[in-house]
Order: sequence, then C-alpha cells, then structure tokens
Amino acid sequence: MNPANDHEKLRSLLSLAASGALDPADEISVETHVRSCPECAAELEHWQALTGGLHRLPTPQLSPVVLQRTVALVREAQVARDERRATFKILAPILALSWLSTIFSWPLFELASEALRVLGIHFEPDWRVFAFFMIWTWLAAAVAAALLSSHQRHDRRLA
Amino acid sequence: MVLDADVVQLRRGDLDALTALIARYQNRLYRYLLRLVREPAEAEDLFQQSWLRVAEKIRSYDPSRSFDSWLFTIARNLALDHLRRVRPRSLDEPALRGSDSESLADRLPSGEILPLDRILEIERSGRLAAALLDLPASYREVLSLRFEEEMKLEEIAEVLGAPLSTVKSRLRRSLEQLRSTLEGYNFRGDLS
Repeated sequence: MNPANDHEKLRSLLSLAASGALDPADEISVETHVRSCPECAAELEHWQALTGGLHRLPTPQLSPVVLQRTVALVREAQVARDERRATFKILAPILALSWLSTIFSWPLFELASEALRVLGIHFEPDWRVFAFFMIWTWLAAAVAAALLSSHQRHDRRLA
Repeated sequence: MVLDADVVQLRRGDLDALTALIARYQNRLYRYLLRLVREPAEAEDLFQQSWLRVAEKIRSYDPSRSFDSWLFTIARNLALDHLRRVRPRSLDEPALRGSDSESLADRLPSGEILPLDRILEIERSGRLAAALLDLPASYREVLSLRFEEEMKLEEIAEVLGAPLSTVKSRLRRSLEQLRSTLEGYNFRGDLS
C-alpha cells in the first residue's frame, strides 16, 4: 500500500482508536503507525484528551423528590395493574360459567319440567320463564363478581 | 447471561426490586435522557414514564438481552417520541442554546472556594458540556452512551436499533463535530 494513503487511512481511524472502538486488527495497525509518525501521535493524543474529557463530565443528579415521586407513581401503577389482573382472574371463570349455564340450561329446563310432570306438578316450559331465569342468573353472577372483586381489593389494600 | 437478581424479582412482581432498580439506575438514566432532550423538566418527566413502561413491560423482557440495553431502548423510544412531538426537527440538527447553559459561577455552590486545578477542571468540563449541548441529539446520544454510560459498541447498536457500522460512523462524526465546535470556541482541546 502507498504509505501516504496508509497514513491518511490510519489518521481517519484515530478518533475511533481514542474511543476504544476499533477492531483488534485496526488497533494494531494504528498503534504501529503512531510509533513511527509523530503527526499522528500528536493527533491521537488530542483525541484522547477529548474522549478523556467526555469520560470525566460531571453526572447530573436526579432530584430526590423526583426519585421518590417516580417510585410512588410506579408502585401505584403496579398495584392498580395487579388489581386489574386479580379482578380478571375472578371474572373470567364466572363469565365462562355463565355462558356454559346459558347454553346448557334450556335442556335442563325441559328436563326439570318433565320431572315435575312425573311428580304430578304441571309446568309448561315457556321461553319467557326461561329468559327471566337467565336474566336473573346473569344479574346475580354480576353482583357476586362485583362484591367479590371489591372485597379482594379492600383486602389487598389492607395487606 | 447472568440475570440481575432485582430484575428476576421484578419479573415476579416484587415492588421492592423495582424500587431498588430505580434507585440504582437513577443518575445514569436521567443523565442519558438529559443529554437527549436537554431540558431537566422534560428529562424528569421521561424518567418517570420510562419506569412506568418498564413496570408495564417487564414480563415481556427477554432475559437473554442486557437489561441496560432494554432499559435505555425504552427510554430512548419515549424520548424520541417526545422530541418528534415538541421539536420535530431537533434530532439531526444542532441544538439551540437555551436556558440550561450555565456559567462557572452557576455550577459552584455559593461561597465555595476551590483549588485552582479544580476550577480549571470545572471550566474545561463546562466548555465540553456546552459544546456537547450544541451537537444534534443523535450525536449527543451516541457520545453519552459510549463515554458516560460506557456501553460497548454492540450494546449501543442494540439501543439505537442500528448496525455496528452505523454506530461507528456516527461516533466518529460526533467526535469530529464536537472537536470542531470546541475549536469554534477557540478551545484547542486542552482537556487532559
């Protein structure tokens, strides 16, 4: 390689050399070149002074008030998230149960009316009775879920 | 990779571990955000948002990645969104000097008498910090990650979401521009 080109190429690597950002092969080339080139040695020293200054820049300090506020805010958000998760854990099975009961209750409803007929009680299955029964079940489940979730939230806050 | 005990605890939902992590990273993360957005109030706000995001996303954190890189990536994304919103052209343009450029007197506690070497050191780092503030955000960022956070180039590439070659060339350009800015102040790099 032409020594002049070599010099220019290695000179362009000096800032990265001072940053410790060269590949091992380039690092060795720069080190070797700098030993025989006073101009590049001075240039490298200049870059090292600059990067050294960057390393020594004073660290801005976060205000303790901001730190405390952040901790409080994050804890609050985390507690709220845990509560949502816990509520979902309660609501999801109740919801699933409600859907299943809706699907399976019509045949059960018919079976029950058949059983009542055998016992001598005449009961004609009717969609209005069924709908009333369903709405009642759903409302009862929703109230139970809300009460349970509120009770658990209260317990967690006390804990 | 060995996973930090506090990170493990946090993934299990331990709030004390989160408090410990916030305390441990407080100055590093704040410094990085301050270098990016330059305004202390904005950096403080982003600091809070970053930790809220960490607590929200910790279950999706991949333990094979470095926690530092993951944390700084979250902070960076929030800071960039913020900068795009409030100063859309500020990412690659030199910053305008604002109210945060302090004089030496501003940085000294009132009435404090310091030895000459210490005063010169403060003055030098003050000029360097001022020159750093004059660089575009993308340059300030790479310099801060490399020299203040002392991240490896691979980690910086992970935070920036850029190839290693881009990180190297950005680092070189940042240093060149910093040097030229300092020379513009008639300050021939006497920082040793």
